[in-house]
Amino acid sequence: MSKSFAGKVAVIQFPGVNCEYETVAAARSVGLEAELFRWNLDPGLLEESLAVVLPGGFSYQDRIRAGVVAAKDHIMDKLSQLASTGRPLLGICNGAQVLVESGFIPGLHWERVDLALAPNVMADREGYYCNWVHLRNERSPCAWTSSFREEEVIPVPIAHAEGRFVTDDTGMLEQIKKNGQIALRYCTSSGLVDPAFPVNPNGSMENIAGVCNREGNVLALMPHPERATWLRQVPEDLEGEWGRKRKAAAGRNDRMEDEGPGRRFFASLLSGKGAALPGKGSAGGISLLAEKEGRE
Amino acid sequence: MKFWVELWVRLKVVDLVQQTAWMTLTEKLDFNRFLCGLARYSYWGMEVEGLDREGVVREVDRVIRMDSAFTNQNKHFYRLMVRGADAAAAEKIEERGNLNLDRDFPVVPGSGGNNGPIHACDLLIREQGGERENGFTARLQTRLPGVTVRGMKAGEVWRILVRSKDKEEAVRLVEEMAVTRSRREGLLLNPHYQRHEIMRTTDLNVSKEWEG
Repeated sequence: MSKSFAGKVAVIQFPGVNCEYETVAAARSVGLEAELFRWNLDPGLLEESLAVVLPGGFSYQDRIRAGVVAAKDHIMDKLSQLASTGRPLLGICNGAQVLVESGFIPGLHWERVDLALAPNVMADREGYYCNWVHLRNERSPCAWTSSFREEEVIPVPIAHAEGRFVTDDTGMLEQIKKNGQIALRYCTSSGLVDPAFPVNPNGSMENIAGVCNREGNVLALMPHPERATWLRQVPEDLEGEWGRKRKAAAGRNDRMEDEGPGRRFFASLLSGKGAALPGKGSAGGISLLAEKEGRE
Repeated sequence: MKFWVELWVRLKVVDLVQQTAWMTLTEKLDFNRFLCGLARYSYWGMEVEGLDREGVVREVDRVIRMDSAFTNQNKHFYRLMVRGADAAAAEKIEERGNLNLDRDFPVVPGSGGNNGPIHACDLLIREQGGERENGFTARLQTRLPGVTVRGMKAGEVWRILVRSKDKEEAVRLVEEMAVTRSRREGLLLNPHYQRHEIMRTTDLNVSKEWEG
């Protein structure tokens, strides 16, 4: 008998992803029910899910181009239907690449590919880059960042070779800025948006780290919040408040299980804008839109 | 003297990227009626200046065989071609390597259900910005005494074999397969950071020996 995903966060396991277990654990850390969902299960099982997450890794070994083969998968038909009717959908790193190659992000013309996540452009190096970065939470309709204050600085790790948000359509870029769809920008530990490496670690236009769709229920996020869910995951030498917290907790195992800076991406599903309570089924996502309409 | 140098490199072993592209194009994007062969190469094309053709061929061949940024003899076939840059001298081509490009048309038996004639398109995909190409230019230049590298095109060539009524239709089909415009259209390049050009279209029906 097939497992029910009603009221749960479904973490899609494409062949080649490698962050799915951490992502399930991160969602569970805030009290959500979360389960892995193999890409070749019946997509209809997602109908009553609370939210869907595409985790990081290398779906289809990044063959041809990161995220593009998964973007053509049958399961994306279902995700397209769910996301276009308001279901929360988060793509982390490789998941973000899948969302961009699917045309769900920026989603101004649904399923049209208006962006790319191109190879990193960095000073004096090329290829894969892995480090902790800082993000500034921008004013946006994004459901996945609704637990953060506006302009709050969030440290999280990145780990990618193709994370540079680019487009050759400058009009479209202006439109997503105007719509407030740039949910997160790379910044310094004090919140300054500096386009130079390493603050902008990959050369992204506008220092983009995360873009949501116009409605705010879909977010393509290059950094990894699931790797910043517990305080123990934060490096002691990290600049700013979180580094100081981690240093203060050194040697105290009980404190290591405290909240990390990335946990609130998942907690956002439980807060006002992101609230799509278990048991509400497919209507849950629609509450996001209702909330947004209320704000406007 | 100026010369135009081309280097084509292909894996000796099964190319899993090519196989994934084949599966995606035929099973997820419905090109099974047209697609009947697919091969993938790394490609470098560059204008170089050197004293004589013989010296250019010898030096470039030495470097690309030794530098794994270009070829690894354990896993790659390659073809190096050097011709004069001006029209009069372009006829004569010096070649090196173990890849026979003129016979490398991997028609899959029984594929391409529309039974039309077969055309092969060589599609070059390059990244915008030229950072990668500048890197290869600098890398070659430091290893090629007496030869000046002036311009570089580096990227990936997909040799795409389609059944189509003529070359024009073949080019149209290849661009539909290649350029990702939406979730349901195109696979091989994202036009927001990559560019493509059709380098050559070959009518394979003049010689049936490739089929099967």
